[in-house]
Amino acid sequence: MTQPQIPVQSTTLQNGLRVVIAPDATAPVVTVGVYYKIGFRLEPQGRSGFAHLFEHMMFQGSENAPKMQHIKLINSSGGVLNGSTMYDVTNYYEAVPSNALERVLWLEADRMRALKVDDENLRNQRDVVKEEVRVNVLNQPYGGFPWLDMPPVAFRNWANAHNFYGDFADLDAASLMDVQKFFRTYYVPNNAVLLILGDVNPQEGFASAEKYFAPIPAGAAPPFADPAEPPQKEERRGYVEEKFGTLPAMAIGYVVPQRLTKEWHAMGLLDQALHGGRAGRIYRELVLEKQIAVEADGGIDDLFGYNGPTQMTTRIMHKPEYSAEETLAAFDEVLREVREKGITEDELEQLKVKWRSDYYSTLEGGRGGYMPRYGLMHLLACFALFDNQPELVNTIQAGFSKATREEIQTAARKYLVPENRAIVFRTPVDKKEKEAA
Amino acid sequence: MATRASEISVGVPALAPERAVRWPKRTRARLSNGLQVVLAEAHSIPKFHGELFLRAGEALVSDRSTGLAEMTATVVRTGTVKRTSRRIEEDLRRLGADLGTTAGQDTSAISFAGLSEFREPLLRLVNELAREASFPEAEFERERRQKLEEVKLERTSPGFLAGERLRKVLFGAHPYARVSPTEDQVAAYKREDLNEVYRDIYTPENAFLILVGDFEPQAMLKTIEGTFGNWTGAKPAAKEFPAPTQLRGRRVYLVHNPGSVQTQILAGCHAITRKHPDWIRLGLTNSLYGGAFNSRLVMNIREDKGYTYSPRSGVTPLRQRGYFSVSAAVRNDVVAASLTEIFYELDKLRSLPVPEQELADAKNYLTGVFSLGLATQEGLLSQYSASELNELPDDYLETYRDKVRALTPADLQATARKYLDSANMQIVVVGDRAQIEEQAALFGELEVYDAQGKRLQA
Repeated sequence: MTQPQIPVQSTTLQNGLRVVIAPDATAPVVTVGVYYKIGFRLEPQGRSGFAHLFEHMMFQGSENAPKMQHIKLINSSGGVLNGSTMYDVTNYYEAVPSNALERVLWLEADRMRALKVDDENLRNQRDVVKEEVRVNVLNQPYGGFPWLDMPPVAFRNWANAHNFYGDFADLDAASLMDVQKFFRTYYVPNNAVLLILGDVNPQEGFASAEKYFAPIPAGAAPPFADPAEPPQKEERRGYVEEKFGTLPAMAIGYVVPQRLTKEWHAMGLLDQALHGGRAGRIYRELVLEKQIAVEADGGIDDLFGYNGPTQMTTRIMHKPEYSAEETLAAFDEVLREVREKGITEDELEQLKVKWRSDYYSTLEGGRGGYMPRYGLMHLLACFALFDNQPELVNTIQAGFSKATREEIQTAARKYLVPENRAIVFRTPVDKKEKEAA
Repeated sequence: MATRASEISVGVPALAPERAVRWPKRTRARLSNGLQVVLAEAHSIPKFHGELFLRAGEALVSDRSTGLAEMTATVVRTGTVKRTSRRIEEDLRRLGADLGTTAGQDTSAISFAGLSEFREPLLRLVNELAREASFPEAEFERERRQKLEEVKLERTSPGFLAGERLRKVLFGAHPYARVSPTEDQVAAYKREDLNEVYRDIYTPENAFLILVGDFEPQAMLKTIEGTFGNWTGAKPAAKEFPAPTQLRGRRVYLVHNPGSVQTQILAGCHAITRKHPDWIRLGLTNSLYGGAFNSRLVMNIREDKGYTYSPRSGVTPLRQRGYFSVSAAVRNDVVAASLTEIFYELDKLRSLPVPEQELADAKNYLTGVFSLGLATQEGLLSQYSASELNELPDDYLETYRDKVRALTPADLQATARKYLDSANMQIVVVGDRAQIEEQAALFGELEVYDAQGKRLQA
């Protein structure tokens, strides 16, 4: 089977900053990313939501580019920018016409070297983040379901189990001192990777990376809280009230194998057999055949982007005339079938073709065409930071194309069991009660 | 705000000379049955992306019911004379393909992407869906039942409620006023209604097929002729609808959503379609106002005042009419303050010329972002589709950047005065009535509705 042939070159600067370049001059566009190996899993206790709040602060000004200048400099160069906080990494990225490459590198280096923010910036972004939480979670039907509902039910280690968007009291307690300490601790070049993808001459790219980033001093190796979970011995269940929505919902999450293992490859394909759209077994049985559910989707959210305990999560919204237990029984039937009979040869072949096709799209994509190579950037960054092997982007697929029916069934028998899962039921509040209240 | 905006950066590297922006050449053809074809090569990955557009959607069949074109599209993928629903889904997976069937006000579409090595079987499947959908009774019943749950559920989303109300207000008796069916309408859908929509809309004279990706255009054209060549059917008669009434004066429409912990603001006015000669200048004006991260509205109510996370403005170009709108989900206690700033920024663009530097920055933004789509098949497909669907001039993509660069502060001010119709904006607020009614009423005569669309006593 053909493998992707992304030309990947990488180096590490004296200060420990990894630099990865993947040139492709087809279009005069370059994508730049800086990934820091810190996400909400590892934020300090008592400061839930801080990793994300901090991400916002990185747009609030640095020594040579004060507040509003970061956004303005990228937009006025003809580009777009954003950042996001994940479990184990936080990223900052720009897609710009390639004539703006130097400017983008200068800007990323300035904020890596000398973030410069004040109390007013912090108050401002705390307000913005609260509105972000309201618009995405508190004021939306099924807001935060299941990504915020599931961790406290599934996990026991605070690192994995807390509210990643942040309790408002914790957001309020965050101080400028916390911001500075977090910056000094985690935002050091030796805890980051710089990625330059697209219309760049690699030699020039490495020279520019050296010019702008090499003067930034290395920091002490950051401390990381151990995200390991105590062994789980029983099924876990939790219940959350749905304030707006009309349909009962549930999410079922199974902890998946450690990354890059043989079992993990099998699990990746098993995930596609179960989820994988309208052809997936769960959708087919629950929505198309038995017609119990209105929606049934999910899977491993970001297979390559985790570096700690992670779940494969199915999200189901079902018709009110079926009880939660009936719905769960239908779901369990689908899993029992896979455990007992595995998947068919024909199915496995289909899954492998689809996997390969999806992988190409991941590399190119996209975000609707306006953040070219976002997927390639993300994979290179995670393979560099977690595995120290960005070239995996070209070879990782082999492990999936070699997976066998036996390995997939073995993974199903080992991982798709009650003592490895957690279930969250999100149930609409009684409307009559709500109106009376 | 004023002191902050004056802060500048020190030592910013200049932009290097620009590399030329070149749009891949398009191959155009028209088959003898009327099917228009547009092909463009892009070899970034060994895949291709495509859309089969039908140039009609909800509006054309709006006299029959609401949402029929979308329901038709939904059921199209559930069976053909040759394949069952399950077979279709498995075949797609076997080809490494994704496929979606949708309908909007003015178009219906089958969108797809797959591996280049399987282009023929994928196009055969698309062809079957476009010509031989069989609308199996059981599949239709299931999808209709699903739709009933969806229409109940969407009424719990503040964004949906705001958009629905604004469209009703702006478009009145015009079909564009109806964005989603009622439960009663869905309950009354008949399988034969869908069949009829399918016969009317899904014809080669009414269709165009656009493909972008890793293939050789002449060979692809042959495949297309072999696959779609003997499809027959005439274009449905176009329908013109009476122009909606021009609304005079600001009015406020409060949609009461009990328990809301935030207020969704959405204000809008009539504007223009994509084909209108002012489209590009309105695009630049919008990007200065609220269409970019660096825009005035975002800097004001997000970065300065912290009222909201995601303020934005945009122009929605439907085929016959377009409208401008601005939205923000804000804290309940700053609804009046946010509306004040929303109008302040509109009025400022109408009253004062845009400073040269700010205009230069905005031009750079718009021209730069326009070319980002060049790097991906999806990005190219979306630019080519918009250009073809709206029958824009052949050189539209190539001349767009020059046209943006030629605009002056006077052009922008004139555009703002013409289309950012501050005095006649229609304002929708979705939130908890008790917390926001007094603030909302400060901005115009108030009408109050519940989430089901029923008017309540003001």
